[in-house]
Amino acid sequence: MRLTTLLSMAAKAAFPHDYRYGTSRPWTIAAQRLNPPGKKRRKVFVEPIANEDWRVLRGDTNIPCKSNSNQVEILSGKDKGKQGKVAQVIRRRNWVILEGLNTHYRYIGRSGDYRGTYIASEAPLLLKDVTLIDPTDRKPTDIEWRYTEEGERVRVSVRTGRIIPKPVYQRKDGIIPQQWKDGPKDTSPEDTLQKTYTPSLKTLEEEVMEKMNIQEDRRPRKSYWY
Amino acid sequence: MGVLSALTRGLVRGADRMAEWTSKRGPRTFYKSRGARPTGVLTSSRKFIPVQAMIPEFVVPSLEGFNLKPYVSYKTPAGTEQPMTPEMLFNEVVAPQIERDIEEGVFNEENLEKYGLEKTQEGKLFKLHPKNFAR
Repeated sequence: MRLTTLLSMAAKAAFPHDYRYGTSRPWTIAAQRLNPPGKKRRKVFVEPIANEDWRVLRGDTNIPCKSNSNQVEILSGKDKGKQGKVAQVIRRRNWVILEGLNTHYRYIGRSGDYRGTYIASEAPLLLKDVTLIDPTDRKPTDIEWRYTEEGERVRVSVRTGRIIPKPVYQRKDGIIPQQWKDGPKDTSPEDTLQKTYTPSLKTLEEEVMEKMNIQEDRRPRKSYWY
Repeated sequence: MGVLSALTRGLVRGADRMAEWTSKRGPRTFYKSRGARPTGVLTSSRKFIPVQAMIPEFVVPSLEGFNLKPYVSYKTPAGTEQPMTPEMLFNEVVAPQIERDIEEGVFNEENLEKYGLEKTQEGKLFKLHPKNFAR
């Protein structure tokens, strides 16, 4: 293949505009079985919600020991009235998956004669079947995006007027940066933030050659590529 | 999966024609390199003469007092420096010199080389465009 065509090929994985998103991520084997490349599935209609109007965030949590916990309550369905923490948000289908709620049971990891482990797996809920909860009185409220006096955009409950804080961002790999212990191959924060760059018009290679007194008078032969 | 039709699961009708043809496939007599550059010359009597200039040599300065390590700690906060753009580089390196020359009255439009601006990339070892060094 020509070098220029190779260089211009997009590296990003693209999905067709009518791809049907499910609970598995699109690059997993389960999703590839359900949506092989040529297959057209029945269209599912999704209410378009703008990015600014999206109310529910991952980690809107249920931590019983804290008094100002963020929770989400289910309005309709099997677990109506229950409150829980948002484990995953799938924007393409307006889905919200809560931890341990709206579950059905299935066997997982079956092989040969072994029927597998019986686990509870959560089904996704549409955004309109779920509301946020006022942290102070633990009742479901409607939410609006409003601006504080400083100009910050916050979620405010319509009924009581209290601000719902954003949930603390937790990394998926469970690392808490403040509690991290540096290993032998980790650069310390002071060394990382030290500014040692002096701008100059030389490339790195030319600067290194100057520093190490390397003389190079030969020049490469001219060659052409397409 | 190339030209195979929509509802096939897996490769049903023949080999995957779009797979890369590498040295790992084909019969025992099939030879193909995987991109390693030669380090010498093969003569007509099938003797290989290594050429020292073709063998890469790493020139590493002494790392005394060098504190940077391969990884960055998770505790580091996000940096506040803006990424360097050509405009910023010009403003910091070249613009002060030009302003100083204009004030002294020595600025000459034909003699821009003394500020580091080059007319052509010919004759340079590390050309900026077309870029002829790997980084």
